[in-house]
Amino acid sequence: MSGSTAQVARAVLRRTTIHTYKNPAIIVPALAFPLVFLVAFAGGLSAVSSVPGFDFAAGYTAFQFVFVFLQMSAFGGIFSGYRLAEDFESGFARRLMVAAPQRLGLIIGYTLAGLVRFALIGVILWVLALATGMQVLGGVLDVLGIVALGALVSAACALWSIGLALRYRTVDIGSFMQTPIFVLLFIAPVYVPLVLLSGWIHSAASINPFTLLLDAARGFITGEPVKVIAAFAAALGILALMWVWATSQLRRAERAVG
Amino acid sequence: MGAEGIRVEGLEREFKGGIRAVDGIDLEVAPGEIYGFLGPNGAGKSTTVLMLVTLLPPTGGRATVAGFDVVKQGPQVRRMIGAALQEAALDDFLTGWEHMDLQGGLHGLSRKESRARGGELLERVGLVDAADRKVGGYSGGMKRRLDLALALIHRPRVLFLDEPTTGLDPQSRSALWGEVERLAREEGVTVFLTTQYLEEADVLAGRVGIIDRGRIVAEGTPSALKAEIGRVSLEAIPSRSEDRERLRAALAPFGKPAAHSPRGEAVRLSGGAEQLADVVRALDAARIEVAELQLHQPSLDDVFLEKTGRSLEGSDDSDAEAPEPAAA
Repeated sequence: MSGSTAQVARAVLRRTTIHTYKNPAIIVPALAFPLVFLVAFAGGLSAVSSVPGFDFAAGYTAFQFVFVFLQMSAFGGIFSGYRLAEDFESGFARRLMVAAPQRLGLIIGYTLAGLVRFALIGVILWVLALATGMQVLGGVLDVLGIVALGALVSAACALWSIGLALRYRTVDIGSFMQTPIFVLLFIAPVYVPLVLLSGWIHSAASINPFTLLLDAARGFITGEPVKVIAAFAAALGILALMWVWATSQLRRAERAVG
Repeated sequence: MGAEGIRVEGLEREFKGGIRAVDGIDLEVAPGEIYGFLGPNGAGKSTTVLMLVTLLPPTGGRATVAGFDVVKQGPQVRRMIGAALQEAALDDFLTGWEHMDLQGGLHGLSRKESRARGGELLERVGLVDAADRKVGGYSGGMKRRLDLALALIHRPRVLFLDEPTTGLDPQSRSALWGEVERLAREEGVTVFLTTQYLEEADVLAGRVGIIDRGRIVAEGTPSALKAEIGRVSLEAIPSRSEDRERLRAALAPFGKPAAHSPRGEAVRLSGGAEQLADVVRALDAARIEVAELQLHQPSLDDVFLEKTGRSLEGSDDSDAEAPEPAAA
């Protein structure tokens, strides 16, 4: 069928990829922030690994890398929604809405574009981390596990931000795309394991689904997977929830896009 | 009529605050027909187009495009239509070719098909030489022409052009008119053309509908509508602008006010062109020095004035069209 969901998604993905290729500066922040975090956290806070109770076989750089990787996945995904919001402001999204027979393809296309960015930046991040001596005690499957979790986080965050872009159709919503994710990421065992946290942050981190993902990914990098099923279930659940959110906002935009 | 063209029955769109941008319009456009949709800014033209291209749901009534319901069969409608809406929205980083690939891809064309069809269209709109350049460097006219070419890549049966020549130079405008006419004549494409330019509707459209304040106030062929008005109008331009009030008063006994240029005053001569001598005598008696005196055959603007009491040309209603939707 002409203009099927898959065809629309592919067209959108291709356009976004060309756009990124021609304007590589737009991925610089997405790459720079994780790198800065990695250097700052892994370097500046490496003494944390000497704290009694801190027991992470792969070392503090690997401990931090996992967080930075998942953080990059999240913010790389959010950028998809930002791009869509920009397209609404410029009027380009209206072109897409009127030309795309199956508009679900737009959501999928922008999400896939986020995954392409995730893959691109992820590869650079892994290469740099390994080149600077990060230890990975897990095998190939474990690394794939981390990457899979990152991809799910990236897709879920892309859908979150795409939903917001469809709802508000302005880049002014950009900060709101990031803030809840930022809070969720940092109310987790970022610098030290959960057992070393105390007070409200421990309570909050204990119920934060991102903690599950972080623990599982850190388990993968040490070659001792933990909470794998729970982490993937949580990630898939969030992804499904965000899909429902984004598609509901597409329906809303269809009623309002004018 | 209407199975493959456009059929609109009681179409309505109400916005926040109870503003009815489109207030129960009915119209039919036959396959292969060019239908001109005329009206001043804020009259409801663009809102109507947005509903017909499935960008905005109606709040009442029904419309089918190419035989498909715009509310219930959006995907089918979008497969059958091409649309060049106001302000061609293009990606400045993409070239003309890449836009063709994107637009073709959205409609399921392979890259090879998009390139073949795109090449044909770019040639037709005179953009082959610029097709490898980023669109950010295109002029307004080039963007409009590319927008038209993009709207045609999947060979739509119905083409919506929303004020396609606004801001274009006369040469680009004329080229675009030629292409639209050819599409309808040679390819049987149904064209729904909104415009503020009377000349555009007069030249292109087989039939026109005039919309004012969300309602269609007149519909028919341009010649039939003008024939309804029948009588000629007389326009006088005073040598001194301060004489305009007196000029208006002197002309008033000869007929109802008619559309006129910014410096002039005009009346539709109730007694026809034979009254010209009487008018000249009246102006002479009133000692009004006249720089120009012209007789005009009825125009579409006269039709608009007759139907609404206002002039279409230069009209700029402040009612914002398509404000924030109520049901959003």
